[in-house]
Amino acid sequence: MPASSEPKWTDYLVAVLSVGALTLLLKLLGGHVNATTVSLALLLNVLFIATRWGSVPALLASVIAMLCFNFFFLPPFGTFTIAATDNWIALFAFLITAVTAGQLSARAKKRAEEAESGKREIGRLYAELREAFQRASHAEALRQSEKLKSALLDAVTHDLRTPLTSIKASITTLLDEQRDDPPLALDRESRIEMMEVIDEESDRLNRFINGLIELARIEAGELQLRRRWGAVDEIISAALTRAGSITREHRIEVDVEQELPGVRVDESAVSEVVYTLIDNAAKYSTPGSRIRISAQRAGGEMIRMAVEDEGRGIAPDLRERVFDKFFRATRDGDVSTREPSGTGMGLAIAKGIVEAHGGKIWIESAAAGKGTRVDFTLPIGDEETPDEPQPQKSTSEEFSLSASEKV
Amino acid sequence: MTDRPRILVVDDEPQLTRVLRTGLKSRGYDVRAAADGLAGFETFSDWHPDLVITDLAMPNVDGLELCRRLRAISQVPIIVLSAKGEEKTKVEALDVGADDYVTKPFGIDELLARVRASLRRSVTQSKSEPEPTVLDSGDFHIDLESRRVTVRGSEVHLTPKEFDLLVYFMKHAGKVLTHRTLLAAIWGGDYVEQDQYLRVFVGNLRKKLEKEVSGQNYIVTEPWVGYRFMPESGPPAS
Repeated sequence: MPASSEPKWTDYLVAVLSVGALTLLLKLLGGHVNATTVSLALLLNVLFIATRWGSVPALLASVIAMLCFNFFFLPPFGTFTIAATDNWIALFAFLITAVTAGQLSARAKKRAEEAESGKREIGRLYAELREAFQRASHAEALRQSEKLKSALLDAVTHDLRTPLTSIKASITTLLDEQRDDPPLALDRESRIEMMEVIDEESDRLNRFINGLIELARIEAGELQLRRRWGAVDEIISAALTRAGSITREHRIEVDVEQELPGVRVDESAVSEVVYTLIDNAAKYSTPGSRIRISAQRAGGEMIRMAVEDEGRGIAPDLRERVFDKFFRATRDGDVSTREPSGTGMGLAIAKGIVEAHGGKIWIESAAAGKGTRVDFTLPIGDEETPDEPQPQKSTSEEFSLSASEKV
Repeated sequence: MTDRPRILVVDDEPQLTRVLRTGLKSRGYDVRAAADGLAGFETFSDWHPDLVITDLAMPNVDGLELCRRLRAISQVPIIVLSAKGEEKTKVEALDVGADDYVTKPFGIDELLARVRASLRRSVTQSKSEPEPTVLDSGDFHIDLESRRVTVRGSEVHLTPKEFDLLVYFMKHAGKVLTHRTLLAAIWGGDYVEQDQYLRVFVGNLRKKLEKEVSGQNYIVTEPWVGYRFMPESGPPAS
């Protein structure tokens, strides 16, 4: 790139030398060139200098070229005098043309350079701006994540504090009675009720803390699956036994496909998933309604299980969010009726367990058109999955043992 | 049976309403519970309780909205149950008409003390109509006509604004008064954000009132919320 700044002395030297060299060349060609050709060649040279080194060297070149033209190519040769009048006009025209063309082209060149540098500046500013935007959006993302963290913290502290409040209120009431100042007489029933509340709320705290630990394990990818071969109906019946007290007032229907193959899963974890779904179904549907648990073979090497209730159902726009941790459709979503509200961890844990097995979990409207149906799939699992932790070396032995038993 | 004070407990946590119902009943109150603001408001309209205890975060109509709706129709004392982290909502509730608050988790004694104080205040308020010319409570005696103030018998000289502030405190003794409430009451609605005015005046008022009885804390600071005026001399503040 030519220097767009002030021309250096070498530029003037080159300008003078180039005119000299061209004159020498033209002189060597002698009679083969006429005055017009010479003047055009010299003009070209001036234009070249103008675009290359700018207007001042071009001006110098114009004057030198005019002198050379006069001295070497206009008769009488070898002098600065001119014989014919029209040659004066030619020389004058040459000078004007050379100076004007030189100045114009130098200016055009300068403009082009300015435009170029303007373009570069815009490019630089654009890049800077984009970088600033990226930084800003990064900060925004950070802020959002901080906001999310504090929302999660709020949810957790609320769930820890609620049972604690009931426990503290019960204990202080019981303490008051012991202190007897001012006299307070609790009847036996009230006393038992207070203690029941303490008992139940302590269990609730414990369940909540267990849930938190489980969630933390899932999020850290540290869910230890103890995969063994097991039967689907056994998994379901284990969950139903556990859910006995909460489903007493519901009609339970179990529909497991005949000849369903065994599955290689962590039975207690999958049973936990089924229990969570039954618990939710019982919680969010009216007593006396039906809860249906089904299992069948899905396409490929998968088993598909579902728990379906006849409750109010979950709005389609909340069906994905209910799997987010601490999200509660009854508290955080759109609620029109009052219903018991859970911890917001059950479905998040269920999702973690199902996905750790390589399955999927989702919500559909129940077949009857009302109610909720939660479906999940599990791979039957005849191939080893080396990326998952294998708790025991003896798995393969169990595999052959169970397999032979099932035959 | 009918002369037992009636308390309405509004909370969406069934275990807590269970405990409060039993705890308050054993102290001789007649108690009913509601699971959200809407049910609470309905029970209030049917039953006309003497005091309402309400949680803040509830489905449907929350505690804040319940305070607002109750204030539109009644002067019933309202105690708000709030959790740490709900400071903003708590202050809002006090601004829209709640009288006091208890932070979760709480001991039953604290709640009972607040219940007694609120009920006492509402009784004095309903008795003290029409507008009195003399305010007499605890260590304080204020003659509204001559604008004279005496604390434990000795006269205290106050500027007009300090006098207004003290009168407002006296009229709402024992109740939590938010910064906004005080600013609006003494300086008018344009000054509700000017906390520093209040700090200066409360500081001066404290100096003048507590000069007589050193160590006595009549104006109790409720951190982040406002002030509570306690006209009785009690044990010196820690």
